Amino acid sequence: MIQVENLTKRYGQHVAVDNISFTVKPGEILGFLGPNGAGKTTTMNILTGYISATEGRALVNGVDILEEPEEVKKMIGYLPEFPPLYGEMTVMEYLDFVSDIKQVSGQQKKQSMEKIMDLVKIGDVRGRLIKNLSKGYKQRVGLAQAMIGNPQVLILDEPTVGLDPKQIIEIRNLISSLGKEHTIILSSHILPEVSTVCERVIIINKGRIVASDTLENLSKGLGEETKLIIRVAGPEKHVIKVISEVHGVKFVESQGSKEKDTVDIVVESSPDIDIRKPLFYALSRASYPILMMRTMGLTLEDIFLQVITEEKEAR
Amino acid sequence: MLAVIKKELRSYFTSMTGYIFVASFLFFTGLFFTLNNLLGASPDFNRVLASILFIFLLAVPILTMRLMAEETKQKTDQLLLTSPITLTSIIVGKYLAAVIVFVGTLAFTIIYPLIMSTMGKLAWSEILGGYIGFFLFGSALIAVGLFISTITENQVVAAVATFTTLLILWLIDAIIQGLPTDKTAGIIFAVLLAAGIAAIIYFATRNIYVAGGILGAGIIAIVAGYIVNPEIYTGFIGKVLEWFSLYSRYEDFELGVLSLSPIVYYITFSSAFVFLSIRMLEKKRWS
Ligand SMILES: Nc1ncnc2c1ncn2[C@@H]1O[C@H](COP(=O)(O)OP(=O)(O)O)[C@@H](O)[C@H]1O
Ligand SMILES: [Mg+2]
Repeated sequence: MIQVENLTKRYGQHVAVDNISFTVKPGEILGFLGPNGAGKTTTMNILTGYISATEGRALVNGVDILEEPEEVKKMIGYLPEFPPLYGEMTVMEYLDFVSDIKQVSGQQKKQSMEKIMDLVKIGDVRGRLIKNLSKGYKQRVGLAQAMIGNPQVLILDEPTVGLDPKQIIEIRNLISSLGKEHTIILSSHILPEVSTVCERVIIINKGRIVASDTLENLSKGLGEETKLIIRVAGPEKHVIKVISEVHGVKFVESQGSKEKDTVDIVVESSPDIDIRKPLFYALSRASYPILMMRTMGLTLEDIFLQVITEEKEAR
Repeated sequence: MLAVIKKELRSYFTSMTGYIFVASFLFFTGLFFTLNNLLGASPDFNRVLASILFIFLLAVPILTMRLMAEETKQKTDQLLLTSPITLTSIIVGKYLAAVIVFVGTLAFTIIYPLIMSTMGKLAWSEILGGYIGFFLFGSALIAVGLFISTITENQVVAAVATFTTLLILWLIDAIIQGLPTDKTAGIIFAVLLAAGIAAIIYFATRNIYVAGGILGAGIIAIVAGYIVNPEIYTGFIGKVLEWFSLYSRYEDFELGVLSLSPIVYYITFSSAFVFLSIRMLEKKRWS
């Protein structure tokens, strides 16, 4: 459906997007994840034909955006980071104008506008001036705009940024439901955003793709070690020595003392060995009672950070 | 393109700019009509049109400052540029919308010659000629304003820059009078001109070879011109700046004469700036 080949965008000396390649299959919801300034918006702007790449190309349904821009633009609905709204228009006037420039013909126009307003739940503000709407409504009008003309592909740049938690959930659900009929690329700099809606995630940092996989594989691939955090009553040095000698322990690190005469320690082990019992016996033999023990599941946040720091170290 | 025209027309009259334009335009035409034709008892309406050409200095920036600058600033250009319409229809649509407001306002002023016609016989064909000239002249200036609006994202900057540009165009004949006409000055100016064009090409394409090639070709042409006929450099500066002398080409229209060359000139001038506006939008995407 979407094919991106060796895309590079330079602003003078600054490389905003650095040789990116990926594909998106029809019907897929792809998450585009990366910290601020990673190059998400730039990539999306290229895909939608707003700006041109310095090198490389982007194809939608096999059509090159540079060669037949009008064809490709018909297939894409774009919600930019700042929804492109005309404050002086009412919601209806705006959607009517968008329908016109997206060449939705007279008969279908009314119908499709009604359908979309229904879907994104903006029917009740249809007569209001856009500048007077709340942020959440504006975002939904922006989304409605992207859906006009029923494009096969939706490209949504940080669609939930600046919304309150309730609105975020609404927009997320909306995107999930849109995913049934559309191919979607969705960007975000926060993980929960993509982890709830997307099947596959591309993590991008400093203009480069650092990971690209399903969420499942990403957590598996990176979360090889199982982490435990334990609180032990005893002197730090000795406790660490005892723990290190337990079979299966790969890494021990002190977190310092959070309670008098105790020490908090992170213990990493191979995933195939459960070290909790051996750990208990070893420490009890040494008369260092365990006051607390819990597993530290690797959250997606950890994965995200880990991928990005690994990338940094590799350079 | 129709959608763009419709949208621009609406935004002229949902914001104040449309009303300010119409009101100030009608005020000045009315004022000069009253002074000249009614109080001055002159049957010559074309004089009125000619004497209010200065109004464009203020009216055109009002009409054009917003056109592209506001889209860029509000980022609504993202909607236009990612929709399946061409850059040409965006720019031409905007241009036509501004021209339509201008022509619509101009149409109101027909009332003045009509008033005059109740008092005596009028040379309607001459008046028609005057109107056509006025229309072409205004449209050319609107194209300049549109172009400037594509360069900046600040309306105020666009307005001031447009005003300044129109002022220079207004004064260009006087400026030409004051410039040196000797051969040396002409040659220096020609070289600077070639360098300027090469520099613009370089900034537009970032291709040093193309720019260098153009500079080289320009200098060769200048030298060749000198060898063939050094006299071409006498008054050369004036000859070049003449091209931008919009006001001097209005004289025929003031007399009510329709001659081809100023008509072609104004249409070419407008088209060139509309074309440059399209290129400017295109260029922004590559920067
Ligand atoms: N018009 C521009 N001119 C110069 N640099 C830019 C421009 N747009 C973006 N950049 C730079 O490119 C990088 C990527 O930006 P962007 O794609 O907006 O990141 P993201 O959307 O992931 O936050 C940033 O370092 C940003 O400063
Ligand atoms: Mg961004």
